[in-house]
Amino acid sequence: MPETLNGKQVFSLQEVALSIKETLANKFTYSFWIKAELNKLNFYRHSGHCYPELVEKSGGKVIAQMRSNLWRDDYARINQSFLNTLNEPLKDGIKILFLAKIEFHPEYGLALHILDIDPGFTLGDLEKEKREAIKKLQSEGIYNKNRLLTLPMLPQRIAIISVETSKGYADFMEVLDHAKRSWGYAFFQMLFPSLLQGDKAVPSILKQLNRIKKVIRHFDAVAIIRGGGGDIGLSCYNNYELAKTIALFPIPVITGIGHATNETVSEMVAFENAITPTRLAEFIIQKFHNFSVPVKQAEEKLISISKRMISDERTKLRAEVKLFRSITENVLLKNKNALKDHVRALYQQSNFIFKSEKENISVSRSQLLKSATAVCRVEQQQLTQLVRSIKKEGNTRLKNSTLTLAQQIKQIRLNVKTTLARWHTEMTALEKNLENISPAKVLKRGYSITRVNGKAITHGHQALPGNILHTTLYEGEVSSTVNSKQNTP
Amino acid sequence: MKEQINYTDAFQELQTIVSEIEEGEISVDELSEKVKRASHLIKICKTKLSSTEEDVNKILKDLEGGVDES
Repeated sequence: MPETLNGKQVFSLQEVALSIKETLANKFTYSFWIKAELNKLNFYRHSGHCYPELVEKSGGKVIAQMRSNLWRDDYARINQSFLNTLNEPLKDGIKILFLAKIEFHPEYGLALHILDIDPGFTLGDLEKEKREAIKKLQSEGIYNKNRLLTLPMLPQRIAIISVETSKGYADFMEVLDHAKRSWGYAFFQMLFPSLLQGDKAVPSILKQLNRIKKVIRHFDAVAIIRGGGGDIGLSCYNNYELAKTIALFPIPVITGIGHATNETVSEMVAFENAITPTRLAEFIIQKFHNFSVPVKQAEEKLISISKRMISDERTKLRAEVKLFRSITENVLLKNKNALKDHVRALYQQSNFIFKSEKENISVSRSQLLKSATAVCRVEQQQLTQLVRSIKKEGNTRLKNSTLTLAQQIKQIRLNVKTTLARWHTEMTALEKNLENISPAKVLKRGYSITRVNGKAITHGHQALPGNILHTTLYEGEVSSTVNSKQNTP
Repeated sequence: MKEQINYTDAFQELQTIVSEIEEGEISVDELSEKVKRASHLIKICKTKLSSTEEDVNKILKDLEGGVDES
């Protein structure tokens, strides 16, 4: 409660603070969306909480500023959603759209309690445009077009898009001039002046690219050069139309825009991007070195190698001549002597061979004659003897055969006669036996044949009382009827 | 002026000649011809390094005249 001091009503600081807190709590009962620039995140690793410093600027001046709290769990969730959407964490220097409650704490004062941040908003005016431009260029298949062109070995003729008074242009020209003075490299450059940052830079650069296109046969490359103007207003280089024109430009476009922020789309699609105009000029000079050094080396090598080859050849030739002379002389002499020796030896040897061969032939001839006669005589005698012995042998064999034959015939005749006589006796005996067992002879002795119904019977049960029996005798037949019969066992 | 060999081709041919000579593929008989050719090529390359034939006035005229290249 306030107290009265020297006639004045006096409040304690806590009473004031609590009063403010109550007033604010009554006034701001709900949370709402706010947009601001996240100047500093102020993340405390130990606690996991953030105390972001929020500002709003106008014309580069801060026009509003406020502290805020972002508690650990909210921070973790929001940071993850930023990583998912932007491929970037929550960080300093970005524009954010956030949901917050106004809070007042007697001890710590006023702060916005951040509940949520919309990553889509941050993506919005910068990254979104950039990413979409890249994606579009890639999907249209033109992203790499300029990068795949061929830069002439000596990029001598350069169309420069820049501002004559800029530091970047001066830096670039200084490197080229230095190369001209130091190594005698010749360049031809022509300035196509243009705005290089801010929204108006896009149509300005496009216009100059169009002009360059008209005189393109005079140039090897286009250089876009900027520098010394700070890092603001460079999002124009993320413009899709500008990047597309660069990608599709018929000759290499090289860039030296000179800034510390992320590479822009125009730089990405350019044939070559250097961090600064100076570096870009050095890139060109390097091409000249790459050409000049081998030419110089070629010249030196040609001279030294030619000299060495000629002197080597001369030395070799001298040595060869010397060697050749001594070898040939030697060989000639050797061959001459050898030839003489050969002639002599050949003559002697052939004479000797002749003589001995002649003797051999005459000896052979007489030997041949002698042995031929002897062979003939022997053969004749053997032949006569053979004829005689064949005749004698033939006669003897004929006589023996005739004798044997006559004896055999006689023996056969005798055998036949004996066999016939035996067969005759046997036949007569058989005939007699046969006659004794004939039925006529049996019947004559008193036996008869009894038949019933034409069938001869041999047993009493074959005839029944009343049957007519036909009995055949030696001469004639008798018929009788059965009256009774006794069964014999 | 007679149409000269392109400097890029001159550079390539020069490299070829040098490597041939270095590799020992060139005999002394051919050396003279090759060296003569190489020095001609070196001259072309050096001239290109130290001079350009472009003329600003001509380009300006082309720009004004709206020469259509495409």
